[in-house]
Amino acid sequence: MKIGNIEVKVSIIAIAVFVIFTIFLVVASLNSPDVRSQLIWLVPALFMLLVIPTALNYMSRSQYADIAPVYEAQAKTVRIRLINESMVGKPVRVEGVVERVHFQILNRPQYVVADRSGAISVKMFTSPDEDVKVNDLVEVLGQVIRRYIVVGDPVINCVSIRKIKKS
Amino acid sequence: MAAIPPDDSQQERHSDKNIYRWLELAVPLLSFGGALLAILFIVTRTMVDFRVTILGCILASWVLAYLAWIRPRKDIVALTTPIYSFIFIAVPTDIFSSLVLELLYATSLTLLLIRLKYRFGIPGIALSDRKDLAEPLRTYVEQTEATCTGISPETAHRATLVFVRFAEGNYEDAARVAGGVAGQMEGAGVSSCLVRAFKIVKDHAALLDTSSPRPHTFLTFSPEDAGQLAKSGPVPPGDQEFDTILDNALLLLYSVAWTASERDRAHLLVCQPFAQKLLMEV
Repeated sequence: MKIGNIEVKVSIIAIAVFVIFTIFLVVASLNSPDVRSQLIWLVPALFMLLVIPTALNYMSRSQYADIAPVYEAQAKTVRIRLINESMVGKPVRVEGVVERVHFQILNRPQYVVADRSGAISVKMFTSPDEDVKVNDLVEVLGQVIRRYIVVGDPVINCVSIRKIKKS
Repeated sequence: MAAIPPDDSQQERHSDKNIYRWLELAVPLLSFGGALLAILFIVTRTMVDFRVTILGCILASWVLAYLAWIRPRKDIVALTTPIYSFIFIAVPTDIFSSLVLELLYATSLTLLLIRLKYRFGIPGIALSDRKDLAEPLRTYVEQTEATCTGISPETAHRATLVFVRFAEGNYEDAARVAGGVAGQMEGAGVSSCLVRAFKIVKDHAALLDTSSPRPHTFLTFSPEDAGQLAKSGPVPPGDQEFDTILDNALLLLYSVAWTASERDRAHLLVCQPFAQKLLMEV
C-alpha cells in the first residue's frame, strides 16, 4: 500500500491479530445479542488493530526516508572490522553480503552483514524498501550504536539497506 | 604504574574461579533446595508460610544475575531474573500451584545458568573497563618497547591522537595528524618503522575519508621491520595484505603511544577493544 511516496507495509503479525479478532467477533456476535449491541464500537476498535500498525509504519518509514539523504551525504564507507565502540554515534556505510535475516515478519528486521574483513549485526526498526534475503549483496547506511543502548558490542542502526548489483 | 606480580594475580584468579564455581553451584542448589523444602513441608504437614520456600528461587535469581553481570558479554535474560522472582512471590497462589511453579522456575534458572556458561564467556572485566592492557596486546607492547627508545613524548602523544581519531572514524583528522608527524620526522632525517607506520595510516585514513577503493599499489613496511610488527606472517597479496599493513601500522602507533606517552593511557585504554580486535582478527 502506498501513502504519498511512502510504501507502507503492515506486518503479518498485525494482519494475523486482525483476522483472529475478526473471527472472535463474528462468532461472538452470532451467538450473543449482548455483543451485537456493542458492535458500534467493537467494529471500529477492530479496525484500529490494522490502522494503528499501518500509521506507525507510515510514520517511521517517512522519517527514515527523510533522514536517509543526510546519512547518504555524511556516511563514510568503512570496512566492517574497523567499526568499534569508539565509533558509537558515527554514520557509516558498509557493503557486504547478507548472511542471516531475523524478525522480518515483525517489520523489525535484523541482518548479519559480512564483508571480507568481518561481520556485523544490522538492526532496522522499520520495514526496508526492498525485500532483502540471505546472500544478497547490499549497501547499508546507518549509525553505529551499542547492542543494548549503553552496553554490548557495536551494531549498526540501519537507516537504509538496498541491494547492489554484483559486478 | 606498578605491575602486579604474576604470582599474586594468578593466585587471585584461582580464588576468583573457586568463588564463581561455588556461585554457579548455588543457583540449582538454592532454587531446587527451596522446592525440596516445600515438598518436605507438605509431606510433614508443617504449618509455615509457604512463601518462605520461594526465597530459595529469589536468592538463586540474584546469584544468576550477579554471574551475568560480571561477564563482559551481558545476558539480558539472566540479568532480569530477579524481577521475575519478585513477580513470582508477589502473586498469591495455592500450595500445589506454587510448588509446580517453583520447580519450573528452578529448572529455568538452571537452564539459564548453562546457557550463560556456554554462550556468554567466562567472568571477567570488559576490555573497555580495564585499567591495564590485556593479553595479547600487553605482550606485543612489551615486545616493541625497544622501538620506543628515543621517541619524544610529543611524537608519542601524536601517535595517540592518530590512533584515537582513527578508531573514532575521524579519518580526515587522523590523516592530517599522521601526515604532519611523518613529514616532520622525515624532515629531521628519521627513517624508521614508525615513520612508515604514520605514512601508512595517513594513506589509509585519506582513502577512508573519501570512501575510495583500495589502490593497486600501496605503501608497505620494509622486510627489516618484521620484528616490530604484530602480524609478520605471510599474507596473500591484495585486500588481505592491504588490511594487514594497516593493522600493523595502527598497532605500532598504539604500542609507541602506550610506552612513551603515559599521560595518554586513559585515552588508549578506551580504545583498547579496537586494538585487541586488530591484533586478534586475521
